[in-house]
Amino acid sequence: MKAQLEISSLSKAFGGNAVLDRVDLEVAACAVSAVIGPNGAGKTTLFNAISGFVPPDRGQITLEGVELVGMPPHRIAELGVGRTFQNLRLFPRLTVLENVLVALDRTERRQSRRRRQVQARALLERAGVSASPDTFASDLSFAEQKFVSLARALACGHRILLLDEPGSGLDPPSLERMYALVRSLAAEGRTILLIEHNLDVVRELAERVVFLDRGRALARGTPAQVFASPEAANSYFGGEPEP
Amino acid sequence: MTAYLESLAVLCAIAAILASSLDLVLGFAGIFSVAHAVFFGIGAYAASLVALHLTASLAFALAVAMAAGAGAGLLLAVPALRVREEYFVVASLGFQVVATTVFEQWQAVTGGIGGLTGIPPPTVAGLKVESYAGMAALSVLLAGAVLAGLRALVRSRLGRALQALNQDEVAAQAAGHNPVTLRTLAVVVSCSLASVGGVIYAFFSSFVNPESFTLDESVRVMVMVIMGGAGTTAGPLLGALFVTLFPALLSFLTIPDQFLGPIQRLAYGLIVVVLMVYEPDGMVGLARRLRRLRALAPAGKPGESTA
Ligand SMILES: Nc1ncnc2c1ncn2[C@@H]1O[C@H](COP(=O)(O)OP(=O)(O)O)[C@@H](O)[C@H]1O
Ligand SMILES: [Mg+2]
Repeated sequence: MKAQLEISSLSKAFGGNAVLDRVDLEVAACAVSAVIGPNGAGKTTLFNAISGFVPPDRGQITLEGVELVGMPPHRIAELGVGRTFQNLRLFPRLTVLENVLVALDRTERRQSRRRRQVQARALLERAGVSASPDTFASDLSFAEQKFVSLARALACGHRILLLDEPGSGLDPPSLERMYALVRSLAAEGRTILLIEHNLDVVRELAERVVFLDRGRALARGTPAQVFASPEAANSYFGGEPEP
Repeated sequence: MTAYLESLAVLCAIAAILASSLDLVLGFAGIFSVAHAVFFGIGAYAASLVALHLTASLAFALAVAMAAGAGAGLLLAVPALRVREEYFVVASLGFQVVATTVFEQWQAVTGGIGGLTGIPPPTVAGLKVESYAGMAALSVLLAGAVLAGLRALVRSRLGRALQALNQDEVAAQAAGHNPVTLRTLAVVVSCSLASVGGVIYAFFSSFVNPESFTLDESVRVMVMVIMGGAGTTAGPLLGALFVTLFPALLSFLTIPDQFLGPIQRLAYGLIVVVLMVYEPDGMVGLARRLRRLRALAPAGKPGESTA
């Protein structure tokens, strides 16, 4: 299987505290991969390093062979890396449609204004957003905001989609909607890397899993293999319960 | 009396241009600048020099002034925005102080403290515009064009990107936007448009001197934006009209001249502080509240809703 994104020996410390410790990761093209691990394991920091917000201390990150380390975030986004945020980060005083257009304005900048509008509506529909496109983002429920943020990430993630805890905060019906969306994206050949500490989400969606704990990749394989590994079992079933 | 009203119209047009162009930076891009009067001045000096030494053609003066304004804006933006936009206000203050000094001291070009005098009336398509009425019409037309241009810009993808950047910089970057490029562009466009106000001012008053382009003037423009409602299209226009017409209203009261200045400044200061605390959207926000109240009024008729 071809690797779309390759991370080798990635390290990052914040004030002497190693948050990523020589992490190796290969993200297979056209598949759903997951990074799991307890809170504070360094999962979001890994995403921040990939998307250019946190410069790693050491290591390489290559997307289809192109080195990403040292590139500013907007360049990485332009290369086709789309991401969501744990805390969503929608533009609160822009409308739902505008939130998606902000991304399309860059990725589809050669298209006409009209075309981008049509595409934005299509992406919102794809993500199952039922709210009016003219509502302000801050007026939506959390779940709806989450799907808008997915639509926005779709607008620039044609090479890889990074989803930071796509399941958190969703009620069971919304969770099913999210599963269906991610599966349909995978089915059409999108490369997806998601972060979760909820094992159910990983079991539902991921083909390959890496277990991260205190910045170290301790186990990898299929979900079943990783869940059965002593490292993950210890952390999830023997350790303190998740807050 | 008509001449007085016509000159008020010109001053209102200039103020509207200055406030609306500043709002692109202050309201939409979220960058605080206290140097807007510098670009007003650069437009005025550029137009004066062109008119005195080359041609009185309005179009030509506008082109030169806007280019000069954009160039000066770039000079401020490129170093100031490389660090963090929070420092911009400090950089702009420095820029304002340096520019005032240059206006005052660069005798050969600006005429120093005395300024430049004898600026001829502008020509539009070969016709000389000499009357106050002509100048008033021209100013209002130019202000209309600038405001329409800004409105279109705010609704374009550049405007959308600026607002996104202002609301969440990280998310805007993740959507592919370069914050430094966007902010620089906003400052350059804003400064270039401010210089249009300077062109009108130079042709209208037929002389320019550094007094009109000081920190006081920059603050006055900022007051207009905040008073009217930053980040809205109607706000800066309302603020500009209020701040320009307020002294004229005061002059109907019989207040001794020496108190007029201090009274104005006190009033502006108070209004801005009160608005910033209670209604950050300024006059536009107040108008929205009124409209909401009126929309609620029929339902709340006395006697109907006693619960
Ligand atoms: N910008 C930062 N500065 C300092 N510490 C940080 C920063 N970002 C993350 N950390 C720390 O790194 C650790 C891992 O955080 P994070 O990557 O968000 O974990 P996860 O997403 O796995 O829950 C945490 O202890 C967090 O406090
Ligand atoms: Mg996290």
